[in-house]
Amino acid sequence: MATEIKLPRLGQGMEAGTIVRWLKSEGDEVAKGEPLFELDTDKVTQEVEADAEGVLLKIVVPEGEANVGATVAVIGAADEDVSGLLAGAQGGNGDSAAPAAEASAEEARASEEPPTEDGGAQDVPPSTQASSEAETPSNSVLEGEEAAGSETASAPTRVEGERIKASPLARRIARERGLDLAALSGTGPDGRIIAEDVEQAGDGAAPVAAATASAAPEADAEFEAVELTSVRRTIARRLTAAWAAPVFQLSVTADASELATTRERMVGLLREGETKPTVNDVLTRLVASALQRHPAVNALFVDGAIHRYRRANVGMAVATPNGLVVPVIQAADQKSVLEIAAVRADLVSRAREGKLKMTDLEEGTFTISNLGMYDIEQFIAVLNPPQVAILAVGSIEDRPAVVDGNLGIRPTLTMTLTCDHRAIDGSEGAEFLRTVKTLVESPALAL
Amino acid sequence: MPELTYREAVRDALSRALREDEDVFLMGEDIAEMGGSMAVTQGLLDEFGPKRIRNTPISEMAIVGSGIGAAIQGMRPVVEIMYEDFLTLSMEQLVNQAAKHRSMSGGQVKVPLTIRTQGGAGWSPGAQHAQQLESWFVHVPGLKVVFASTPEDVRGLLWSAIYDDNPVVFFEHRTLYPLKGEVPDELEPIPLGKARVHREGKDVTVVATGRLVHDALSAAEQAEKDGISVEVVDPRTLLPLDEETIIASVKKTNRCVTAHEAVVRGGFGAELAAVIQHAAFDWLDAPIERVGSRFAPLPFAPVMEQYVVPQVEDVLDAIKRTVARA
Repeated sequence: MATEIKLPRLGQGMEAGTIVRWLKSEGDEVAKGEPLFELDTDKVTQEVEADAEGVLLKIVVPEGEANVGATVAVIGAADEDVSGLLAGAQGGNGDSAAPAAEASAEEARASEEPPTEDGGAQDVPPSTQASSEAETPSNSVLEGEEAAGSETASAPTRVEGERIKASPLARRIARERGLDLAALSGTGPDGRIIAEDVEQAGDGAAPVAAATASAAPEADAEFEAVELTSVRRTIARRLTAAWAAPVFQLSVTADASELATTRERMVGLLREGETKPTVNDVLTRLVASALQRHPAVNALFVDGAIHRYRRANVGMAVATPNGLVVPVIQAADQKSVLEIAAVRADLVSRAREGKLKMTDLEEGTFTISNLGMYDIEQFIAVLNPPQVAILAVGSIEDRPAVVDGNLGIRPTLTMTLTCDHRAIDGSEGAEFLRTVKTLVESPALAL
Repeated sequence: MPELTYREAVRDALSRALREDEDVFLMGEDIAEMGGSMAVTQGLLDEFGPKRIRNTPISEMAIVGSGIGAAIQGMRPVVEIMYEDFLTLSMEQLVNQAAKHRSMSGGQVKVPLTIRTQGGAGWSPGAQHAQQLESWFVHVPGLKVVFASTPEDVRGLLWSAIYDDNPVVFFEHRTLYPLKGEVPDELEPIPLGKARVHREGKDVTVVATGRLVHDALSAAEQAEKDGISVEVVDPRTLLPLDEETIIASVKKTNRCVTAHEAVVRGGFGAELAAVIQHAAFDWLDAPIERVGSRFAPLPFAPVMEQYVVPQVEDVLDAIKRTVARA
């Protein structure tokens, strides 16, 4: 019996996704849980695993966008005739959203067994011919290395159709992070998946490195091969894509004394329970104001169109043990510096714990990358597509400066804006940067 | 702060109420000259006289019934049922009368009656003098139910029970009477319906009542040696229940053990487990474990009694089950 592979919902609010590439070809044998295709959403690129096993009979959506729930492929027995199934399924494809076609996709869904919380692991009736292989542990691996990184380091060995035992807490965490429980091994009693199992699967990186190291037999190898985690892979892919954009950079140096003083006075007025604002928090607020005045910079370049945003949702590059992430401070132009500080503190701590949600990473319209704490004076940031600009902020240092015609010592700050020339011209970028400089030197003007 | 035994703390609350308030009086079997079979009311006859410290015939139905009558007339009687096993004899008065008058009269009649009683195993009392029947009364709308575990709590809660306008069934534990503990200089009333967090922890919450609070605290200390951080919460009032504190604790620890000396089946732990699983379903990382007596009439033989009644090790085992790995 053939199974339709539907486009999964990886996070809240996800309506559609883009299939980047297929990891299997038509005619390939597919094991349940094996990575099937790469799916790109706004924020993450994730491998999607097969939730059935058999032969990949038909790829319905070879590449491109499809709606959540649309049939993207069919898996079944080798010589199975799936033309009937496909007649209904083709219409469910995201691109041709004819009402009738939607309806047939709905019907196709409705005729299935009710979906289970376990990510469809029970979709296959126990009586399929696959049951002869049921005892074989599947190659089920979520994100490749993550299952390997779990404590047991073994793929789950559940019989087809067997209920996945997971604690309510583990189920909730998996749901929030878009993880498929079917791919996880449980370390609780009776193999129950408990919260820690899901959290470790979500982390990936740290345990992976260890697993890789121990797997390498030649201890005297000249290099250590570190496999890419899914986060690392996403970084690699997206930043490589960023290279396709024709970019230019503009730098400006601003007198940071007012910025530093303003922040100090804010700290002085702090009430109990409030988060102490950093220079970067104040800067985030000022940049948000500047973005309001220069909508050309507060934009995304999507499918050959420029989307300019009213709200300034400012992302901040955060280094975590697993790699760079860019959580977003929503509507930074509407928030006070103290509000920004509180949101920032929460996002950074959760980012370091690997507890960010999809929603924390979504809807950014601009990014600030600050390496000032590493004493980097200035640097050039790589674009964070589809955003059209990113601001690289260096350290505040006392430097010689011309003050009223005399040489003096002032705390200064150098900022470099990287712009996507497809969306922004040099003059637009320069005007934005001039506003940022003005606001840094006179923060009160952001009021 | 002065130190009182649990027994002295009960007596202190009673004395203070008797001293300060003409409406308070005591009734019960052998509570006057003899000072009660647990010596809780010793000395009270001398201070307050036979009109206020009244011996009764051996009829629990009459004791509670007359208490209800006095309460309706505006007094604040405290009646003592010698063993909670004997509450069964007063069920008609408690369940059908005391619990119902306020509601059935549209609020015109109040029954500010306190029914003190005690029970509990650990001293070979046999099957008819040691039951833990508190959960029976949690099932009756119109009653309040208290089960105090420390001298400080028993004193502050008994005061609140006396001054509550509803009938309160007030459970004391036989083996806790000699337990010493610090109490505030002045009696501080403890509101009914407020749980007490005895010990904070992050891995598992033990919700325990009565004697098991102390066993849970011992188990928590032992568990800590194994790296398990245990929070111990005593609801103190079983009805109304401080769900907020308990739920907050379980949401923090993600695991829960309930512990009482009463039999597990149909015990108060069942109610706790139901409340917790509903309010904190998505926070639970392990099944809720229930600790209680085995489902048997309490044997007289000490070794058998010890086998039937939960001990520290039983709580510790349950704690470990909640954090167990395959």
